Amino acid sequence: MDLLLWTLTVPLLTAGVGGLGGPRAFKELTMVGGLALTFGLCLAIAGQFLAGSTPASFDDALRVDGLSALVLVLCGFVGLLSGCYGVGYLRRNERRGLVTPRQRREFYGLIPAYVFAMLFVAMSNNLGVMWIAVELTTLASVFLITFHNRDTSLEAAWKFLMLGSLGLAFALLGTVLLFAAGQGSLEEGMSALNWTRLVEVAPRMHPFTLRLGVVFALIGYGTKAGLAPMHTWKPDAYREAPSPAVVLMAVGMLNGAMYCILRIHLVSTAALGPDFSAGLLLTLGLLSVLVAVPFILIQWNLKRLLAYSSIEHVGIMAVGVGLGVEAGVFGALLHMTYHSLAKPVALFSAGTLAQLHRSSDFDEIGGGTLGRAPVSSALLVLSAVIITGSPPFGLFFSEMIILRAGFAGTHVIATSVFLAALVALFCGIAFQIGRVVAGPPPAPGTTAPDPERFDVALATASVAAVLAVVSAFYLPGPLVALIRAATAVVWGRP
Amino acid sequence: MTANVLILCAAGMLVTAYLMVGQKALFTTIRLFGLQSLLLALVAATIAIAESRHELFITAALTVTLKAILIPWFLMRTVDRIGIHREIEPFLNVPASLLICLGLTVVGYRVSTGFQEGAREVGHHLIGVALSLLLIGLFMMVTRKKAITQILALLTVENAVFLVAVGVTSGMPLIVELGISFDVILAVLLLGVLVQRIVGRFESMDISRLSKLKG
Repeated sequence: MDLLLWTLTVPLLTAGVGGLGGPRAFKELTMVGGLALTFGLCLAIAGQFLAGSTPASFDDALRVDGLSALVLVLCGFVGLLSGCYGVGYLRRNERRGLVTPRQRREFYGLIPAYVFAMLFVAMSNNLGVMWIAVELTTLASVFLITFHNRDTSLEAAWKFLMLGSLGLAFALLGTVLLFAAGQGSLEEGMSALNWTRLVEVAPRMHPFTLRLGVVFALIGYGTKAGLAPMHTWKPDAYREAPSPAVVLMAVGMLNGAMYCILRIHLVSTAALGPDFSAGLLLTLGLLSVLVAVPFILIQWNLKRLLAYSSIEHVGIMAVGVGLGVEAGVFGALLHMTYHSLAKPVALFSAGTLAQLHRSSDFDEIGGGTLGRAPVSSALLVLSAVIITGSPPFGLFFSEMIILRAGFAGTHVIATSVFLAALVALFCGIAFQIGRVVAGPPPAPGTTAPDPERFDVALATASVAAVLAVVSAFYLPGPLVALIRAATAVVWGRP
Repeated sequence: MTANVLILCAAGMLVTAYLMVGQKALFTTIRLFGLQSLLLALVAATIAIAESRHELFITAALTVTLKAILIPWFLMRTVDRIGIHREIEPFLNVPASLLICLGLTVVGYRVSTGFQEGAREVGHHLIGVALSLLLIGLFMMVTRKKAITQILALLTVENAVFLVAVGVTSGMPLIVELGISFDVILAVLLLGVLVQRIVGRFESMDISRLSKLKG
């Protein structure tokens, strides 16, 4: 078996073993070990790619180029973080006696399964296989959203599954239409849907059908990425799902959906010139950044706040690609990398605060958490500084690259609006996080939160924070090479 | 002959969609969906015979077993188990809904003329019907309150996508098609489980009650 198949088999086996049952220590070890091995395999694939080969298998239905390699490494990394944090997360709930055997099986089974589906997305070179993989991520996450079995979790899961399925139906229609547009130029069989093949025949495609297909596919995968106006499932799902699963959605799924969007963008660029899908992406991206502003200002829940921040970031990536210049694409992919490093810290620390206070609503948490849970609060502040794009951290640089590309290019007005929205978002998030961390402490007599203890989850959050800070000053050479390779793919020079 | 059969089946699918919009009894709506899927399978089978594209027989067989038999059976069992048999008043009354669907059909047909195949007689009808079905499915999704009806609306959208796939392309590659079918059935199963949990919790499957999460 080759490397690609191993990378898919390992998380799948981990999911199988975790879902079956067994003693707790064994399950914890399996999940962390399995996900660590998966991350190692992702790194090995990226290494193979950087060494000059293009790993492929199944008749090129799975194929790893620069873009895939970058997304694979990021997803593998986040999978491992989520696994480590997940162990600590579940232990805390176990101590309070909140975990039923069914929940335990669901948790240890679905988290690796979700990682498997994400990696499957990132490897796919075939529009059909890609669709199947994205649908698998949706299905794997439904029961993670209903994990806590509250009224609101059912509501969130229902909205997520309906909207997600509808988005995927659109994406499927888009795929079918892209396939239809290439009728006559494409041969029969599996390889006809390979995107490498579609890009080759793109100039001969029927333009009307193709255009319709691109619109449907972008809307469909945009739903999964959480681009406005298809973002409404995101805040609900983030609030209800356990934090380790939220990290997979907020980083892994977001990167995976961006990957799909970029693939569609590539086919569209090859056939219709750069302006069509870039214009769409710019519009959707700008809309996402703008939509996030009011909802962050009036927000009442910590995890929903982070969901809107995630809508903002996917919007920033879409704007970067939509500007239609190479620097913008590079900025967007750099942003994806830095976002993948920074977002877990925010979600882990917010998750810890929510767990200690048994709720993520601002009212329940109350202000002044710095006194009650100093480490998590400090990490939350640090991550808020990073994800709002403050210097000297990474997201500042990527946002600056995108802004510079925008002002130097033809979309000056759009970039100005974008900049204004970024400033507003910075203020909004700073205000809300400040309210939680500093703010007046809740009145005495309310139920006291659990004390903060240094456990696996907190350790994971700290390690993630160190990595996020270090990455601002030093990105490893191979990672930069991957980002450049991915930029070359998206810019059409593979 | 082939053309007539195809147009008849496609028109039949459109009629079932209209009937679903006008129908309040859940069992009947589910049966109508089953009929719609059966007609979709007939379209696939007819094309398979006429153009001797044998892989389309597999599509037809999959559609019949999954969408005409298995999914309706599963949904009916769910309805039986939760004991709620009728749709409550939708957000929009039936005559108004039907009128809007008429408008949507016109839109669907208008868009279909842009296709390469839209110029040809049969292709034009297939795409026109498919796009109309898609729009009607979306319309049902936003105006109905019952969870089961929303699932049926989603499945109608999916049928529309398959009609495009069968009518416009030479059929999706087999492995992809199998994967898609597998995913669809899994999604319906999950939705069914969710509906049961929602009914168990809220003692209703009125989706408009799921409105606690805002902002």
